[in-house]
Amino acid sequence: MAEATIRSAAASRPGPLLRDLLGLGLIALGGLAGYLLFPDNLAFLTRLISVALLVLSLDLIVGYCGIASLGQAALYGAGAYTAGIACLNGVTEPFLLVLIGAAAGAMTGLLMGAVMLRAHGLPQLVLSIALVQLLHEAANKASWLTGGSDGLSGMVPAPLFGVFEFDLWGRSAYLFGLGLLLVVFAVLRLVVRSPFGMLCRGLKEDPLRISALGIYAFPVLLKMFVISGAVAGTGGALAAIATQVVGLDSVSFELSANALVMLVLGGIGHLYGALVGTVIFMALEHVVAAANPFHWMTLVGAVLIAIVLFAPRGLSGSLDQLAGLLTRQGGRAGR
Amino acid sequence: MNGTSFGRLLRSGALALAGTLAAWSGAASADTIKVGIIGPFSGPFALQGKNFQAGAEAWLAQNGKSVAGHDIELVYRDLPTANPQQARALAQELIVKDKVQYLGGVYFTPDAMAITPLLKQGNVPLVIFNAATSAIMTSSPLVVRTSFTTAQTASPLGKATVDRGIKKFVSVVTDYGPGVDAEGAFKKAVTAAGGEVVESIRMPLNTTEFSPIMQRIRDAGAQGVFAFLPSGPPTLGFVKSFSDTGLKQAGVKLFATGDLTQESDLPALGEAASGMVTSFHYAVSHDSEINKRFVAAAEKAIGAPDLLSFPAVGAYDGLFVIAKMIAATGGKQDAEKAVEAVKGLAWESPRGPVKIDPETRHLTQTIYLREVAKDAQGRWINKEIASFPDQGDPGLAK
Amino acid sequence: MQTALSIAMDAFAYGMALFIICIGLSLTMGLMRVVNLAHGAFAMIGGYIASYVARDLGLGYGFAILLAMIGTVLIALPLERLLYRRIYDRSELSQVLMTIGITFCVIGITNYIFGPTLKTIPLPTGLAHPIDLGFRSIAGHRLFVIASGLVVAGGLWFLIERTGFGIHLRAAVENVAMARALGIRTEIIYAASFALAIALSAFGGVVGAEFLPIEPYYALRYMVTFLVVVSVGGAGSIGGALAACLLLGAIDVTGRYLMPEFGNFFFYLAVILVVCTFPRGLMGRARSHG
Repeated sequence: MAEATIRSAAASRPGPLLRDLLGLGLIALGGLAGYLLFPDNLAFLTRLISVALLVLSLDLIVGYCGIASLGQAALYGAGAYTAGIACLNGVTEPFLLVLIGAAAGAMTGLLMGAVMLRAHGLPQLVLSIALVQLLHEAANKASWLTGGSDGLSGMVPAPLFGVFEFDLWGRSAYLFGLGLLLVVFAVLRLVVRSPFGMLCRGLKEDPLRISALGIYAFPVLLKMFVISGAVAGTGGALAAIATQVVGLDSVSFELSANALVMLVLGGIGHLYGALVGTVIFMALEHVVAAANPFHWMTLVGAVLIAIVLFAPRGLSGSLDQLAGLLTRQGGRAGR
Repeated sequence: MNGTSFGRLLRSGALALAGTLAAWSGAASADTIKVGIIGPFSGPFALQGKNFQAGAEAWLAQNGKSVAGHDIELVYRDLPTANPQQARALAQELIVKDKVQYLGGVYFTPDAMAITPLLKQGNVPLVIFNAATSAIMTSSPLVVRTSFTTAQTASPLGKATVDRGIKKFVSVVTDYGPGVDAEGAFKKAVTAAGGEVVESIRMPLNTTEFSPIMQRIRDAGAQGVFAFLPSGPPTLGFVKSFSDTGLKQAGVKLFATGDLTQESDLPALGEAASGMVTSFHYAVSHDSEINKRFVAAAEKAIGAPDLLSFPAVGAYDGLFVIAKMIAATGGKQDAEKAVEAVKGLAWESPRGPVKIDPETRHLTQTIYLREVAKDAQGRWINKEIASFPDQGDPGLAK
Repeated sequence: MQTALSIAMDAFAYGMALFIICIGLSLTMGLMRVVNLAHGAFAMIGGYIASYVARDLGLGYGFAILLAMIGTVLIALPLERLLYRRIYDRSELSQVLMTIGITFCVIGITNYIFGPTLKTIPLPTGLAHPIDLGFRSIAGHRLFVIASGLVVAGGLWFLIERTGFGIHLRAAVENVAMARALGIRTEIIYAASFALAIALSAFGGVVGAEFLPIEPYYALRYMVTFLVVVSVGGAGSIGGALAACLLLGAIDVTGRYLMPEFGNFFFYLAVILVVCTFPRGLMGRARSHG
């Protein structure tokens, strides 16, 4: 059904689809440029992609459904640990591992959504924190399964397509990650523009009116949680495959909070914003933290304050505004 | 479009580009050997990272920057908390981009585990300055460790406490990898010496209120308590709670590994920790000529004397080992030869006599029994009262 | 029985320490509708000032508390004017981000000025020693915390429910436009209640330092705990905050006594259960968020 609507939407309005293709092309181009310009930093760039998937998944919940979450790493970590455990138990095919990670993330998303959707606003935020802390604690306790605080290590994923090994230089890991990102991004563009995506946005903007239409919000939002979980789980699985170690940090409150900061930096409610935010935050961290780790925290703090004060819609939102001013259209690309 | 062939095309392109860049930058610095040091230089564990830096710089200050005609350049990379993904990315960048010949540092176990798979391909040895889990050594033959393991420091305490006439213990550890290691090692040692651990308590990592734990100790009716907590803020609450709830006054003895009373925490612990007995591989107050010189140099490097603590000596000895490796390989990058050269190496460290076990590549060293006391200047120190020479890592011997 | 009583005593003291730190946050969140995650940062600043005054200047504990409260408010007031005032009517997400930003800055700067080590606040001899209660001995300091908590709760209740300031504050909270129309200077009311909340956080930071030691990461380490406690109690309600602190304190302490290895599970499960059963907190004052 979704496919049919997409096709009809595409037929009636060729504009957005074209723009999506253009966007995907840009991401691919950016990714390949990263590959060529920084051939010695591929492990970092792979890490960036897996975090970008996490931030994208968070955007689905925060930006498109209006649900604030400080526990998104629960979904990411579920994907990472499940893929890691599967790999240690003989499932070494990378594509299969990613599917396993995505499925685990989706399952966790279902559970998390079922709990979090019982509350609104601040209590909802607190529920998300409590859930990620519980999962963190569980991963620490179950050290026979997860390696606990020493980390889950020793996994050796099979070479990609049976040829490209996940080695020191990390080329196959990076290109694998880039491919995953492009696929996920394309799917998500379709999702957020589908009637279902519109409905979610409607629930964010005006829940009362949507419920007056006779639509029950819970299953709709829960579905988005499952999709978000699958995306975060994909990111986690990518991290597990590329790093070959899964640590407790992948189910931490800190990672969740960082993901939210990156999302807001880029601008919530735009899939592009999620990517922009991740790239800028992590690149800055990589450069500034290496130069002077100590002032990094003060700098991030100051940037956060500045964004809230001067660019409340994030960098991509402000860029849109700027573009709107220049072209005198005043519209925003994402909406 | 065929993704694989496209990828291959790109790979070859990138390789060519990388090759030219490497040749270009490599020519400029012919005789500088780079050593990458990964540690927590910011974040909640920044103090430990600072100690890495102070130890390494103290060694350079004393021995000069040049070894057998090759200059050593230290490249620091910050890894604030345990984060294997970031650890791998940093190590990869150091090996591939910065072309380091040696890796050192590493505070947390999962980070070390993420780095070890890279060593063989990168042809780089890793000298661990801290990460204290036994299993790291088995994950790659190119790892050498100049710190300690939790089992190594906890085991001698078992016999020492029983010798003091205390037979009935409760063990209290923080519920994570090293804590569980400590619990096991102590129990084994105490049982072997004829004592008994009547209760083993594991408490969650972020515990801040310890009085219920103290109540359990009281209920168990133990004569002695063995504690393991990672160094940091909670140790203060634990030690205070022990004396506040009257256990100390009731004559219950508190024993711990030296993590609990690291020198930088002692000014805060102060009176509450007075008389507490710990076992560890290094005390800043260790009485030897070589240690006095080390402490003077390291205090200068770190800025304030009360910041100096055990990771510094791991880093100092780590640089000593790396210098030996450089000398043995004549400055050529050959990880296997370098590691082979230091197997069985023995020397006088600021902590006392040490030796790299040729089998495990871990440090065999003296473990000291220390008591928290005031020195002549009125500073709180870990005063050494007994020593157990030639301790290997019992964690690896299983 | 004796053990139960002893555990109850510990739980009560711990809960009260939490209460003193958190009540200020509950006020800012419930009455002024600002999710101030930097609350812990102000408690930490209070702790640092007290430590400096008591250790380095050698003044007494009472002086340390007083100067900590005054000093922290003096630091916080310009922040209120420059930063907080702009987010009073913004979304929760903006407030969360801005205050996380402030927390990061405070941590970075504190680390720079005071260094990364633990700081202690020396207690006066009367509070430093264990006091024998017959069935057990308890640190004198814990009794002081319990007493302080009761005084703070009573005093706040009186201030908000029984004084002119309280009436103006509640009016400004219910309907800003109407309160202004009636001649209430809402900015001053807001600034004053903000100052009050900060002073309480500093007080909490100092007297709670025996439970939560003062170090640069204090602000981040306990941020989640404070936020959770306030939401469970229901933002803005003194009774709710008190109930939440005592309930969570009791669960935490008894959980850690009975099954220490699962201590955190009890705590967070309790949080999830309470939030799911009472989505507005135990005694929530805040209206549903839009």
